[in-house]
Amino acid sequence: MSWRAVHIEDAELITRARSGDVTAYESIVRRYQDVAVRTAYLICPETDADDAVQDAFLKAFHALPRFREGAPLRPWLLRIVANEARNRRRSAGRRHGLALRVADAEAPQRVAPGPDQIVMAAEQRAELLAALNTLRDDDREILGARFLLDLTEAETAETLGIPRGTVKSRTSRALGRLRVAFGVEAGVVEP
Amino acid sequence: MTDRPMAAFDDATLESALRSLASAVEWPTAAPTGPTGAPAGPDIATRVRVRVIETQHERPTRPWRRLAWRPLRRSVVFALVALLALAVVAGAVGLGLPGLRFILGGGPTPPPPSPTATTGPGASSTLSTPSVPAAPGASMRLGMLVTLDRVEALTGIPVRLPSDPRLGTPDSVWVDTTKGNQVAYVWATNAELPATNEPGVGFVLMRFDGTTDPGFYEKVIGNETHLERVDVNGQDGFWITGDPHFFFYVRNGERIFEENRRWVGDALVWSDGTTTYRIESDLGKDETIAIAESIE
Repeated sequence: MSWRAVHIEDAELITRARSGDVTAYESIVRRYQDVAVRTAYLICPETDADDAVQDAFLKAFHALPRFREGAPLRPWLLRIVANEARNRRRSAGRRHGLALRVADAEAPQRVAPGPDQIVMAAEQRAELLAALNTLRDDDREILGARFLLDLTEAETAETLGIPRGTVKSRTSRALGRLRVAFGVEAGVVEP
Repeated sequence: MTDRPMAAFDDATLESALRSLASAVEWPTAAPTGPTGAPAGPDIATRVRVRVIETQHERPTRPWRRLAWRPLRRSVVFALVALLALAVVAGAVGLGLPGLRFILGGGPTPPPPSPTATTGPGASSTLSTPSVPAAPGASMRLGMLVTLDRVEALTGIPVRLPSDPRLGTPDSVWVDTTKGNQVAYVWATNAELPATNEPGVGFVLMRFDGTTDPGFYEKVIGNETHLERVDVNGQDGFWITGDPHFFFYVRNGERIFEENRRWVGDALVWSDGTTTYRIESDLGKDETIAIAESIE
């Protein structure tokens, strides 16, 4: 489905949901629940992402009257999810960080890389994720939003609540810090 | 990539590496799946729908205002009356435990396939199936696996089990103190205990603190789950049949906990005044109630 078709369908569903059609809202949630749960996990791996997303979607339903007509729905929802996850991060205990799937931590990459991806050994994946986990929250969030969740710059800005014009520069600085952390994790440079 | 010093990667290479990493991260999922990759419970969308409907049916916080411009539904009036009655009773006997409402949810996600269902298309990307057989109920998110003799020490609750000879000692015991001191006793399937909705599980008895007020059940619209009021040792209870369902408990408008985000088949729910019990069983209503009444 094209971006435009998704946008039109979202608009129709929002109109119905605003008028009290809960089934229409369920369709909206189902459309975005996967990226939402990943967003919550990215921001607060320590929390129950499922629970955070449920609460966020419940808040979003009640906030639908404030949704600006014609605006893209996905980043608006993801911002509510991100805020919910951040609230939980404040009360969360020990920081866990993102984790690799067991199968991927020990085996060669199973998924064929896309045109803009590269093949990595299992050890490198683990080192890269460990490096990402050492970054401060805002760096990890922006790199995660842009490259793990594959959000656009505009979506990243709205989701994380930062000015759109700063996404590129913040991403570049975060990549620089990731490069250093990656080298440390790999034992190339001294910490 | 492996031939180059990692710290020498340019931005474009790092971006590509991160994009590749995305498929290897242990992301949580929005729809729980069982060992075969088949749906094991309602997805987030289904549960959000139920919660939205539930909040729309909540008691008004300022009823006198709504009374002025909105006719109250008969069920809400009934719920308010029941709450007042329960508060009086609870205050009188000093329970301090306002009644829980239990809310059933169902569909539109189709019922889970049978245990022999073929693996779904997404299953290949999930973790490999453990080779060691897990304890019965391991996939049900019932809490921490404990031995029977530790239950009382962990929860302060004496162990009370059915004396029905078909059951004997439970095959696994689970405790979740975050969910109203929940204890779940699980029996594996055998010749006398047909499988419940959960593969390999023949009988589940759960208990948690709090009472369910008969006036406070709600069946969320749009499903084919049936409720029948029953008597369990003189206590009000419900026999729940029909489409697989899920449910959660609400106290004073606050969601207390979900029933493990999984589909539940036939179930019996009742309260003895301070504790709520739930049984999942495929033995039918009469036999399940008989087993419930044998708890001692």
